[in-house]
Amino acid sequence: MKRSIGTAMAWTVGFLAVIGVLALIGRAASNGSLPLTPVSPQVTPDAGAGEDLLVVLGGVYPTREEAEAANASMHLADLQGYYVVPVAQFQGFSEQVGVPGDFALVSAFRTDEGAQEFADFVRSFGYPATILANRVRSLGGLYAGLGQERNLDGTGPLQGPIPESTP
Amino acid sequence: MSSPERTPRSRRLGRVVPVAIAAVMVLAPVLVGWHWAKLGWRDKHYNYPATPTGYTQIVNRFGQPCNSDASAISMSWPASDNGVTYTPRFHKKLGGYPTEMVSNKGGKSTNLDNDVYGHIQNDHLSQYTKSGIWGYLCRYISGTTKWSTHAWGIAIDISASYEPQGSCTSTVNKNFAYVFKQHGWRWGLDFCDPMHFQYAYGY
Repeated sequence: MKRSIGTAMAWTVGFLAVIGVLALIGRAASNGSLPLTPVSPQVTPDAGAGEDLLVVLGGVYPTREEAEAANASMHLADLQGYYVVPVAQFQGFSEQVGVPGDFALVSAFRTDEGAQEFADFVRSFGYPATILANRVRSLGGLYAGLGQERNLDGTGPLQGPIPESTP
Repeated sequence: MSSPERTPRSRRLGRVVPVAIAAVMVLAPVLVGWHWAKLGWRDKHYNYPATPTGYTQIVNRFGQPCNSDASAISMSWPASDNGVTYTPRFHKKLGGYPTEMVSNKGGKSTNLDNDVYGHIQNDHLSQYTKSGIWGYLCRYISGTTKWSTHAWGIAIDISASYEPQGSCTSTVNKNFAYVFKQHGWRWGLDFCDPMHFQYAYGY
């Protein structure tokens, strides 16, 4: 009799202990995974290394500080404008621009439509936007805006190389 | 106990007031109808999608950012200060129904082009819609890698020249913001972006 009571108590204690451990695990997981406000997925920066890209150019500056200051003075409503990048991260860039300087305001695209759409948008604010005549080879480096253009099939943003950007 | 005598003046009022009320009740709808007819506009409220809350609902209702529907409809919106007529593009579920304002371009509702814009015109508020009017653009929110609601064509910036981002007060858009709110839109003043109106909450 005593033995069966002891066995029942042991089972009960064991069961409650398992429940307690599971509750602790569940609580910890819940705290870590529920955001307070809804957020969208953060997009992985895509530098398009090795691809031939179209570049919309907003200006070339001798130093990063000057480029950053020029970029900060361009207010394009609540939307992302240019990115500050070293000109050396695009092969064939300096030859086309013909202006000395180590840093540039750019936004890179894979399609003509994407580059044209952005250039029109920037110009509508009265800011400079020149689409370089020839594609430049991305050597990687800082993020320069790739991915912010429509996929040719119309389903969403273009997030990978296309035949025109593949050397 | 005697009731007070009614004077000729009060008797006359007693006859005139009901007649005046009846006349107003009859004339008011006629005048409103004439006003609408003159502008060629009706507030139709056809086929509005429910305003989404959060990223998942936005995608479920309007698709992926930058999809081809996001810029399927366009409309002409003249700014009152610089004479420029802007052509914002937006999602086909927010307009394009064959109405007085636009031709059918495959859209499904009367929301932005007919109802919001028409209502602003009809309330004589177009004087407050000033330069800097943009709709769809496949772009992130400034300084982030988070898609702007503009990338779905469910946002429009108005009077950008007068309503700088970061300002928590409004100069001109406050005069017609109620029209957007009445049609399911959220005003960006809630997050200190008074030029911005979006058809989404929780994002």
